[in-house]
Amino acid sequence: MFDISLFVLMLLGALLALAVYLPLRAGQLSLATPGFYTIGGTVAALLSTTVPELGGNEQTYPLTSVFLELMLAIPLVALLAFLIGKPVLKLKGIYLAIATIALVEILRVVLLSSPWFGAAVGIFAIPQPFEGPEGYAAAFAVLLGITAWGCQRLETEPLGREMAAIRNDELAARCMGVNSERVKLIAFVLSAIIAAAAGVLAAHFFNSWSARQASFDASITTLAFVVLGGSRTWLGPVIGGLVLTALPELLRPIGDLRLIVFGLVILLGPIFIPQGLIQQKRS
Amino acid sequence: MEVWLQLLVNGISIGAVYALFALGYTLVFSVLGVINFAHGAVFTCGAYFTYIFLGGVVGSNGLLATQKLPVTFPLAIALVLAGLTAAMVGLLVETVAFKPLRRRGAEPLLYLITSLGAGVIIVNLIQLLMGAEAYALPSNILGSMPAVLALGHGIQIRTVQLLLLLVGGVTMLILNIWLNQSLGGKALQAVAEDTTTARLLGINSGAMIQLAFAIASFLAGLSGGLVALSVNIGGPYFGISYGLKGLGVLVLGGLGSVPGAMLGGLIIGITEAFVPAKLSAYKDAVAFAFLFLVLIIRPQGLFGKPPIEKV
Repeated sequence: MFDISLFVLMLLGALLALAVYLPLRAGQLSLATPGFYTIGGTVAALLSTTVPELGGNEQTYPLTSVFLELMLAIPLVALLAFLIGKPVLKLKGIYLAIATIALVEILRVVLLSSPWFGAAVGIFAIPQPFEGPEGYAAAFAVLLGITAWGCQRLETEPLGREMAAIRNDELAARCMGVNSERVKLIAFVLSAIIAAAAGVLAAHFFNSWSARQASFDASITTLAFVVLGGSRTWLGPVIGGLVLTALPELLRPIGDLRLIVFGLVILLGPIFIPQGLIQQKRS
Repeated sequence: MEVWLQLLVNGISIGAVYALFALGYTLVFSVLGVINFAHGAVFTCGAYFTYIFLGGVVGSNGLLATQKLPVTFPLAIALVLAGLTAAMVGLLVETVAFKPLRRRGAEPLLYLITSLGAGVIIVNLIQLLMGAEAYALPSNILGSMPAVLALGHGIQIRTVQLLLLLVGGVTMLILNIWLNQSLGGKALQAVAEDTTTARLLGINSGAMIQLAFAIASFLAGLSGGLVALSVNIGGPYFGISYGLKGLGVLVLGGLGSVPGAMLGGLIIGITEAFVPAKLSAYKDAVAFAFLFLVLIIRPQGLFGKPPIEKV
């Protein structure tokens, strides 16, 4: 039996993986994705539960309101990512990774402790724009389709090539006239936008939302999606996200052992397939 | 004034444990140039091992339910044994998650993932064997020592805090002397400086890397045991927040810098201690906000060398 809710989670995993992949394409290991994802979800949860005008007269929550939430969450997160990215992207390698982990932790603690965001219990009874998981699957599929298409286009566009150049050698790229600061910032903001959009949809899908979504575990698990799927082309993170989200669920019959097997996959993956499942064609 | 002093002592004692733990990250980073994300899980192991060596009984949810060791060790020996057992776990992690990549000269990103995988396995093995419940070390471990020491002027300090400070301080002192005075310590530093040159000079760099892992994991296990003395073991995921804080300390001090890790630990410990009780929910955020600011102002950390861009 194929579970549609699981399919929705798989699509969500693929989206978040693409959000991690974009900065990585420009050589930047940013683990801020769950942070922006949480902000997107929080915006949607707050708006849909506190603004009665958004609810409309129908039984189900209007899709136009979800669209409005997106239109509000995306510029907000883009601005935030821009302001954060400016100073943070000056950091290199593992320093950037840890600074972004610090950011996500700060965000999580603040959201969990302040009563405005539902504190530790979270925000409940988020209205549903769809009656069943099928609607969500369609919505997530559309979002993933747009994002994947964008990422695929990027691979042939000048911007994408500049990103790849920075990943291979930032200094050389700068010598060739690539404005590396600008390119890295664009990648960071785009990644934040993807994560926030996924968060808006996810808040409705999960029906409740709390800052626990922004955990260190989530940061690293999404990174594992990208690395195991393959971090050189857009298809890698998508496959990695789909497969690795499904894996713990498919392993459910083996009970308590499933997370140990999941750990083994993450441990052995990079050892046996260092390039990831989807490898770049050599030209 | 008195309260101020009391907070300072508390801050220094927890800071000493943070420093001890972060030194493990530092040692591994200095020889391999990568961060071992399984370090927090090894710390958790240390806490559980300490519980077992002190004669604790496994709860009812794990596979080992109601088992216990036939012997009960005194605290000092239990802590050392926990450290040694954690060191063995660390060596195993090195063999499985690091060595295959090291041999191939893989990119650093892959080490993050494999060590994380090792961490996931360790944490879930603990859950499988010991159950998800919280454990408290037996209350009589301090023997005849009082639980709280009154130092006059109304200053009261938990004996455990002093113990943390003492063990942490002495261990760091020994590590420092070993690193700087002994042949083995100097060989380790040589590998950290330049693996290839060290190898040309006849240093077995593979063995040195294993040694770094063993010492690092010993420190993680010991600090896990020490923290378990002070607070309860909250479950198999106990080590994650300490693992993150250790990363913060590592970066604050500067990657690969031993004095940096020590100072970073103290700074984070003291900063946390001085967060007012009313805002205690924000305690973890304060440490990370501090880290974030330092990174923005001084990207290489307090003691780190600024990276040199080579063409």
